[in-house]
This record gives sequence, C-alpha cells and structure tokens, in this order.
Amino acid sequence: MNMRLSKLFLHLSGLLLLAVATACSTHSKPEISLVPDVLLATEDEQMLWQKSEQEQRAFESNGLIYTDKELEDYLNQVVANLKPEDAPADLVIRVKVIKNPYLNAFAYPNGMIYIHSGLLARMDNEAQLAAVLAHELTHCIRRHALQAFRKYRNQPAFLIAIQQTLLKSKGLQALAHSMGVTGAMAAISGYARELEAEADLVGYEWAVQAGYNPKEALSLFDQMLSDIAQVGHEEPFFFGSHPKIRQRAENLQKSPMPANIDIRATHKRSELFLAKLDTLLLDNARLDIRLGRFQIARGGVDKYLRIKPDDTRAYFLLGEIHRQRGHNNDAKKALSYYSRAITLDPSYAAPHKAIGLIHYKKGQRALAKKFFESCLQLSPDSSDQAYIRGYLKQCTLSEEG
Amino acid sequence: MEKKLWFSLFIIIAICLACTHTAGLSKPASYEFMVDIPEGWRKIDNNRYLLVTRENPFQQYILVQNRPIGKSFRHTKKKMQKAMLPEEAAQVVIDELISDQNLLNLRVLKNTPEIIKGFDGFKILYTYQDAEGHTYQTLYYGFIKEDTFFNLRFTASDRFHFQRDIEAFRHMLNSFEIIKAEAT
Repeated sequence: MNMRLSKLFLHLSGLLLLAVATACSTHSKPEISLVPDVLLATEDEQMLWQKSEQEQRAFESNGLIYTDKELEDYLNQVVANLKPEDAPADLVIRVKVIKNPYLNAFAYPNGMIYIHSGLLARMDNEAQLAAVLAHELTHCIRRHALQAFRKYRNQPAFLIAIQQTLLKSKGLQALAHSMGVTGAMAAISGYARELEAEADLVGYEWAVQAGYNPKEALSLFDQMLSDIAQVGHEEPFFFGSHPKIRQRAENLQKSPMPANIDIRATHKRSELFLAKLDTLLLDNARLDIRLGRFQIARGGVDKYLRIKPDDTRAYFLLGEIHRQRGHNNDAKKALSYYSRAITLDPSYAAPHKAIGLIHYKKGQRALAKKFFESCLQLSPDSSDQAYIRGYLKQCTLSEEG
Repeated sequence: MEKKLWFSLFIIIAICLACTHTAGLSKPASYEFMVDIPEGWRKIDNNRYLLVTRENPFQQYILVQNRPIGKSFRHTKKKMQKAMLPEEAAQVVIDELISDQNLLNLRVLKNTPEIIKGFDGFKILYTYQDAEGHTYQTLYYGFIKEDTFFNLRFTASDRFHFQRDIEAFRHMLNSFEIIKAEAT
C-alpha cells in the first residue's frame, strides 16, 4: 500500500467512524428509503454534492483529464439526447474523458460523468457509448449515490468493502486516491447490486428510446468478456466489479424491448463515433504501449487505421509495438511499418530513428548511421538528440575500427 | 513529539512498501554495490535497497538499488533486458513513471545518456506532484550490467532541498562501486 493510498484509507476510516456515529445518533429515526422529489432538498444530498465538487476540482487539477473539446462536445451531446424528459431540470449532466487505458466509467451524484480513454477506445460505435453513458446517467438521475449513502451509513461494513476492493485493484489505487471517497465508491466499488442492475436496465431502456440499437449494449458486454479473457480480471471495473459481467449481460438479454420500438429503425452510428474518437485512439494506444499491453495497443491502432488508412503516426506506432515487444520476427515487421510511415511522410523523423535503432542493435552500423543522420536532419532539436549523437559516434568508431 | 515520530515512522514504512511492491518471482541480482553514505545522512533500514535521508524522506532521500532485470515493475508489464540500450532502459523507467497515477502532473525534463562509473547508462530528471499538491524533483541514474539493473536516484521536495543536497547525492554517486554478489 502506498502513502497516498494510506491517506485515502484514513479518509475512508474517517467516513467509517462518521457513519458509525451517524448510525448511533440516528438510531431512533426511521430509515428513509426513498429519495425526495426535489433535488438538493435535504442536507445529506447537499453535502454529497459539495463533496463531489471538491473531489472533482482536486481530481481535474492533476493532469488526468484528456483534453479534446470536439470529443467532449460530442459526448455531452450524446448524453443530452439520452436524458429523459422527466429528469430534474437543474441536474446538469456533463461528460469528461480521463487519460487512462483501463476500462471504466463512473458518475458523481452532481451529474459529472467520467469515462476512461481505454473504454472509449474499445468501443465500436455510438450505440455502445450510449449504453455506458445511459448506465451512468441512471446513477445520477435516480440519485443512487444518495440512496447508497442513506442505506450504508448504517452499514459501516460497506466502507470496509471499499477498502478491500481498493487493495485488490492495483490498477486503480492511485486513481482512487485522486478521486476521493465519493468518486472511489462510484468508480471502483460501484453501487449495490440492485442499483447497478437498475442502472443497466433503465439505461438500456433510455438508450433504446433514444433510437440506439439494443444489440450493441450486449455486444459491448461480449467484447469486454473477451477482453477479460485476454488481460485478466484486474482491469474491467465498469463491467466486472458489480454484478458479475455474465449475469449483467443475461439480465439485459432477458429484459423486454421498450414498447413502440422498431429495431430496424435503430442506429449504431459507427462512422461518426470513430471519426470523433480520432486522435484518442492513438493517444490511448500510446498509454497501452507504455504499459506493455501490446496486443490491446495494436487493436486501437488498427481501429484508427480503419478511419485513416494512410496515417503515418499509426504506422509508426505499429512499428513501435513490434520493436518494443521484441518477439520473433518483430524486428522485421517493425521495419516494414516504419518504412511505410516514411513512405507516407518522408519528413517524419521518428521512424528514421527507430529504423536506425534496429540496425544499430543488429550491428549494422553503416545502415544505422544513415537513418540516425536523416533523423537528425529532419529534427535537429529533438529531445533525444544526445542519444542519437552517441549512436552516430559509435557508428563512426566502427567504421574507423 | 513522540506522536510526530510515530507518524513519521508510519509514513516511512508506507513509502518503503510502495517502492518495493512488485509482482512475480525473480532471481536475486548477481551484483551488489558499495556506497559511501554522506555525513549527517541516516540509513533507513530495509533489505531491498539502500534508502538514506538527511532529515526525512518527505524532504529528501537517496535510493540505490540493484534490481534483477527480470523483476516486474508495478505498472508496466515491460521488463529490463540484458541487451537493452541505455535509452531503451530509460524508456522502461519513464513508462513505469508515467503509468503510475500516484505521480501527478509528471514532467520529464531531461533524458540523456550518461556514463556511470564506466558503464553506459542514462540520466533522467523529472518532476511530479503528490495528491496534496507538493512538488518533488528527482534525478535518476540507471544502467544495466549483465542481469542487474542498477539505479541511483535523488528526490527532494523543493528547489531548496534539491540544490542543498544534490552534492551529497553526487558524493554517493562517485563513491558507488559494484561488487559480485555472494552465492546464496
């Protein structure tokens, strides 16, 4: 456990004590099981919103937000179309993207929804996005955080459960700390099984009502199941942490189609969705490459190439995936992708250097020298020039020797 | 006063746990090291690496480690390899740092090749913030010798401590020597 996580645990423990104290002091009061009609009519909801805003401010100042105005506008437009007419008018729903390759999305009670770049990159169309956003929207509109708070303030064991979940989820420990207690509950532990099930079913209904193809919600679950098989259970929090993913998919399958919906008239909007993701796919692939998750990174780059088949940066990243992975024949494949990147844009310096590195490591110093030199010519002020000059020096020494 | 000491002890243990957490099994490193601890600095006991501080690890610390190359990192699945160039080894370290979301607003200011006691290595300078908004600066030296990745890093909480204590780090760096590990 690290130091910052320890502090989160201290916060959680504080909340635990608070919960115990509240439970003791309200022992004789009747349990409030329903949320009031009017938003922010009660002190506990006001407090939850205040806490959410504080946590969001801290969280967003940490450099974790992915900035792409066009994408953010698009996400906000999708969620606005999902919002039912009877939703509280003063509940403003907003969506932001977090730079994080793990699969997750979560909502704060005040209507702020965060979605990870990794989850967006794994989706194929707007209907899948709508399924996730509608799930989170349900948490906000049905005020699940308030319900959870009222229910669990008398059950401190719930907070212990959050701690235990955090201990197991190494991929999100740090993020959890940045998010604070309210965010950690929404993002990691999830709400109670019945609230998550409600979010699945109501969200599904809202997505279908908004005209999205209902099969896409299920296909997203299928895709995540295959991802779990590939990367293990550690990753998919949104899909795997609450009711088990299979169970959730089965629940959706069994749920009746909303009345007056003609499935033939529903849409997926794949092209628009992928066009809006655009650079995020490559940026997220870079995060996966950093994590050494080369197969997942490859999936993101391939998806990007379906939209922009002649993108030099995408071919460079394919080269990076193979060069850094270093399996049999990877060097050969990397060379071919780098060469393609250079053909598409001869002025792009990065693949020149990468080809130089491959030749350099093979001891082909004359060839390496040629590419290092062309890299420096194209980008004389690059931040890695000290390394390149060092390689060139060694190449020259080899020639002389 | 006693409360403060206990609190510091708790924090130090937390830091040590954070730094040592790794997944998977690996063989022990074949090489160890000797280093001269500057006067006025004290060693914080643990058997994984050498950690010394002048005041407390929140103000500054120097960490020296001999790490078997097959040992997993906490975040990235990448591993050090014998045949890696110093730049590639530096990239693994940077990938690990960037993948660690405890290190907020991380900025790599410099990444250059460096000869460390005759070995081809790298030097990285970076800054980051913790969740409380405190800024730290780290100077990180590393190199691979056969199956061991050596790294020496100096972290200070602010410009004052960095400037004041950087000489102590250089002293340790200059005194650094590799020795063959005893067979166990």
